[in-house]
Amino acid sequence: MSTHLIAFFTLREALRRRVVLAAALLTLGYLVLYGVGVWFGYRDLQETQGRPPGLTEGVVSLMLVGGLWSLNFIASVLAVFLSVGALSGEVDQGTLHAIAARPVRRSEIVLGKFVGFTLMLAVFIGVSASLMILIVAVITGEVVGGSWAGPVLMLLAAMLLIGLALAGSARLSPLPNGVIVFTLYSTALIGGVIEQIGDVLESAVMFNIGVFSSVIVPTRAMWDMASAQLATGGFAGELSAGPFGASNPPSGWMLLIAFLHLALTLGFALRTFGRRDF
Amino acid sequence: MSRPAAISLSGVSKRYGDTLAVDDVSLSVAHGEVFGFLGPNGAGKSTIVKMVLGLTHPTAGEIEVLGQPVGSLAARAQVGYLPETFRFHDWLTASELLHFHARLARVSADVRSQRVRELLELVGLKDRVNDRISTFSKGMMQRVGLAQALVGEPQLVILDEPTSALDPIGRRDVRDRIRELGEQGVTVFLNSHLLSEVEQVCDRVAIIEHGSIVAEGNLDELLSAQEIEIRAGDGAEAALRQSEVRRINGRLRVRVANDAETAHLVSRMVDAGVPVYDVRQVGDSLEDLFVRVAERGDV
Repeated sequence: MSTHLIAFFTLREALRRRVVLAAALLTLGYLVLYGVGVWFGYRDLQETQGRPPGLTEGVVSLMLVGGLWSLNFIASVLAVFLSVGALSGEVDQGTLHAIAARPVRRSEIVLGKFVGFTLMLAVFIGVSASLMILIVAVITGEVVGGSWAGPVLMLLAAMLLIGLALAGSARLSPLPNGVIVFTLYSTALIGGVIEQIGDVLESAVMFNIGVFSSVIVPTRAMWDMASAQLATGGFAGELSAGPFGASNPPSGWMLLIAFLHLALTLGFALRTFGRRDF
Repeated sequence: MSRPAAISLSGVSKRYGDTLAVDDVSLSVAHGEVFGFLGPNGAGKSTIVKMVLGLTHPTAGEIEVLGQPVGSLAARAQVGYLPETFRFHDWLTASELLHFHARLARVSADVRSQRVRELLELVGLKDRVNDRISTFSKGMMQRVGLAQALVGEPQLVILDEPTSALDPIGRRDVRDRIRELGEQGVTVFLNSHLLSEVEQVCDRVAIIEHGSIVAEGNLDELLSAQEIEIRAGDGAEAALRQSEVRRINGRLRVRVANDAETAHLVSRMVDAGVPVYDVRQVGDSLEDLFVRVAERGDV
């Protein structure tokens, strides 16, 4: 099996091409900005008179969830940019010809790239989310978002996008594939907002449109589940509703749909790339 | 039992939409042969090369490589390939590229480093082992590509335009490598536009035009179908009764398939009472053959 060779190669390419370095530096800059924001925000909160019990923890939790929402967005963009031209782009450039002529199955190329990108995103999310939790803990003294489930669900959202982009990349050139993947990703984001408004207005149609968009692309649903895991303390549920999460987090069924989605997109990528002509 | 052909195509066609890129091609390359594959741009050469490598799937027909079904891992494990574009991941160093391909080709770990070192020395890149490919000239990329093709000690080497970016010395080196491979019993399938190069190293050639093989055979045989130049008296043209008699500088030029046909034409002129002063064979080069085939589609 050559899957591990391709995965390691994919990981090394991103490191060597400084994709990860650029993302890491930008994220570091973002974390510094975030730390300054949390510091000022927490100072103002401390100066507020007559705070109800649990408010401090709730607001700190919201600050963390908001920060992680941005990291989740960066991870999503990174996942799409890395994988959107991973197959067809390399076929078009001719760099995959010599590799695919080796005793390597096409499926090993697809799975190797998937594993490589997933490992990269796992390191990115793991390190940046840990740093963010640390920043909040050091500034506020509150340890929130300690659950591993949150970052793991963020990684699952990134994996869904990698699977989707690889499925498109098995046939489409990077540009049209990128447009399609980002459109679907945006549909899921907007669908989440429609779902929330539908929930508030008690509109079943709007609510169902949101749910439907999450079934088509469950990335937003994964974030909603992650934010529900990350938000702790009093008022957390109420405060997390809005742009950073859902007042009613998706049920466990959405996890099953996400795995089904991943299996379908990867299956499509394997089948299409296996049949494609170079 | 005789060894299976290194490459065997039987009734192979490839269609892209309405375009028939390869039309019912049958071809056999014997084990240990240095085989030249020629044809004008867009004739279907690259499509056939990619089908032999399992990169492109034929619409019809069967292909076997070293006795194995095309595309099988067993077949691909014994094949080395230098792509036409010689585009590799240029963020790698020459050594890293060869190590990666050696691992993909399942070269055992204990000989890998030595093999990589020897090959980079063989292609004249021993001083650039740890330099990134992005810093290489086209010629150097082609050299590292050749080393990459040989890293798995293949039984069949497919070289797609291996010398297009090389200077004359580089070309000579590659020709020497190809000859050495042939002497070692390795089959070489050489796709090249450089006809003199093919003429110098290949045992057999095939010429493809509009997706079909229009000439195939031993180089000596193909080039023996040549022209004769006749200096004769009046009435020679009528006596020859050939459809294509050309007059160059007062001499007649006629294509013949072999010596027997030459003798037959001479006796025709003598029987018609035409004085024959001189008959001599005019050498045909592979370039003449190629141009004739490309322009008229016949041998």
